Amino acid sequence: MKILIIEDEEGLRESIEEYFTEAGNICETASNYQSALSKINLYRYDCILLDITLPGGNGIDVLKSLKENSHPDGVLIISAKNSLDDRLEGLNIGADDYLVKPFHLSELKARVSAIIRRKSYNGSNLLVFNEITIDLLAKEVQVDKTQVKFTRKEFALLLYFIANKGKVVSKNAIAEHLWGDGIDMANNFDFIYSHIKNIRKKLMEAGCKDYIQAAYGMGYKLTDK
Amino acid sequence: MKLLAKYNLVNLITTIVVMLITGIIYYQAISYILTGQKDKDLVVEEQEIFDYVKLNHHLPQTFESNDQQITFAPAAPGSVQREFFNTRYFEKDEGRKKHKNGGEYESGRGLISSVTVGDKYYKILIIESKVETEDLIRLIFIITIGVILFLLLILQLTNRLILNRLWQPFYNIMSELRLFNIADKHEIPKLPTSIDEFKELNDTVADMAAKAKHDYQDLKVFTENASHELLTPIAVINSKLDTLIQTENFSERQSKLLNDLYGAVSRLNRLNQSLLLLVKIENKLLHDKQQINLREMIEEMVSQFEEIFNDKELTLTVELGEKEIYASRYLAEILLSNLISNAIRHNYNGGKINISLNNNSFTIKNTGDNTPLADEKIFTRFHKSSGSEGSGLGLTISRQICENLGYGLEYLFKEGYHTFTIEF
Repeated sequence: MKILIIEDEEGLRESIEEYFTEAGNICETASNYQSALSKINLYRYDCILLDITLPGGNGIDVLKSLKENSHPDGVLIISAKNSLDDRLEGLNIGADDYLVKPFHLSELKARVSAIIRRKSYNGSNLLVFNEITIDLLAKEVQVDKTQVKFTRKEFALLLYFIANKGKVVSKNAIAEHLWGDGIDMANNFDFIYSHIKNIRKKLMEAGCKDYIQAAYGMGYKLTDK
Repeated sequence: MKLLAKYNLVNLITTIVVMLITGIIYYQAISYILTGQKDKDLVVEEQEIFDYVKLNHHLPQTFESNDQQITFAPAAPGSVQREFFNTRYFEKDEGRKKHKNGGEYESGRGLISSVTVGDKYYKILIIESKVETEDLIRLIFIITIGVILFLLLILQLTNRLILNRLWQPFYNIMSELRLFNIADKHEIPKLPTSIDEFKELNDTVADMAAKAKHDYQDLKVFTENASHELLTPIAVINSKLDTLIQTENFSERQSKLLNDLYGAVSRLNRLNQSLLLLVKIENKLLHDKQQINLREMIEEMVSQFEEIFNDKELTLTVELGEKEIYASRYLAEILLSNLISNAIRHNYNGGKINISLNNNSFTIKNTGDNTPLADEKIFTRFHKSSGSEGSGLGLTISRQICENLGYGLEYLFKEGYHTFTIEF
């Protein structure tokens, strides 16, 4: 997939670029309003990560220009402004999602994957990962055509891992993904461990390989091997 | 003490002192004049005696009148010094038998003089009663007291009628000040008054209020800007950490350090978000008000927290009635989530949490440390119990949200339970 990162903060831009660059992905970047405008008018992307505050202009105007020309690119706004009005404005104009800084790269990846999935599978709600088939609408998981019962959180976690396959996902990122910001009391993440244990157990009992591994006590990683 | 009362008291004391002094001066002056008058009478009497003696060459007959006594006594020649003196005048009783002595003493004025009749030398003693003088003085005293009382009465009436009205602008300014809230937009109005002092006070107060509001606004803008500026570096740290853990092969020590970094960054982030949120609530910048079914919201939240309840082996009792409120969904969620996560965080393993909701109130009780928290202090910014991992802003935010919605948020420690109640 092809992704455009419009972000003026160099450190953040580089990190995102590095995280998204992998086999089959092409990442391009723009660090100001002008280069962003010229890029979106010249090329098409599967998803555009759009910062609102840009040197030389406003990200919302980039989005407007995109929509005026009826370009189908998916747009995810990343903004430091956690204001409801901004969020509503962005989504009204036609952004697909809105993520507030600071965020975990794994969260960003999961959101981008969701946008691309919605854009490209046009109506199909099935996500396939090796022998695992996930029905996104019915929230059902099948392994080799047999259904495996997942709780809501386990389902969300599995999707999160698949979107971030091959990456170490930190426990903090998992906790924030599942519980939002309310999770600030949890310095011990035992309940994450038990969720993951359950997912692995259910998948392996259904005949899957053991995809999810602990990574140095910092997080977990789903690998394709 | 009210200014009016103080003013009256000072007024009263001054009036009395002045009246007393004037009274004394009156007394002295009138007494002096009347004594002079008496002395003239005495001299006239003396002269009459001298004239009589010159004419008749013997002493006149002494008789007693109502207010005059004259006595003659032989004396050694040249031994009598002529002088006026104050003495007592014995008034004989006529018909009245009040006194044992058959009369009563009045104050009197006397003159000692001498006369030579032939070769005999006599001492003359003339005494006149001063009772009329005293009556006069008594009258003056009564009039003085009367004037004092009359003045007091007038003073009271004036105070009631005029001073209260006069001070009205002052009381108006006071009530404006009492209503003054640094966070809202209401300004102190200019009062219509013709009194310079009050005009000045009004202007000063209005200026001060405007300045305080302006400074407070500046401070809020600063907080907001500072928090916003912090977001980007936090985002960079976060993303760099996420990138760092993708590089393989960490030792146990390194991964422990990384975990600590993650924890610290997420705390920093939460703190920052809380500050931003506070500014937003205080500025009333959240406008997404809607009908919210609180029961549903609480149920949803409780199921969100399920793992955490289980992890701490907390026993949860939930009694929910129906309650709808009209509020920002975002804020209502933050409010409930703050209170519930507090109840979890400050609990011990195996403790209890009771949540109840009815039409009038929402109550959350939790076990925890067996000592009550410092009542109002817990709602102040950055107040937190030792070892707390929170930002210290959770309850401040909760209280702000409640105030914003016009609800009360109270804390109570009862029967081993820390209880927070929202009164709708």
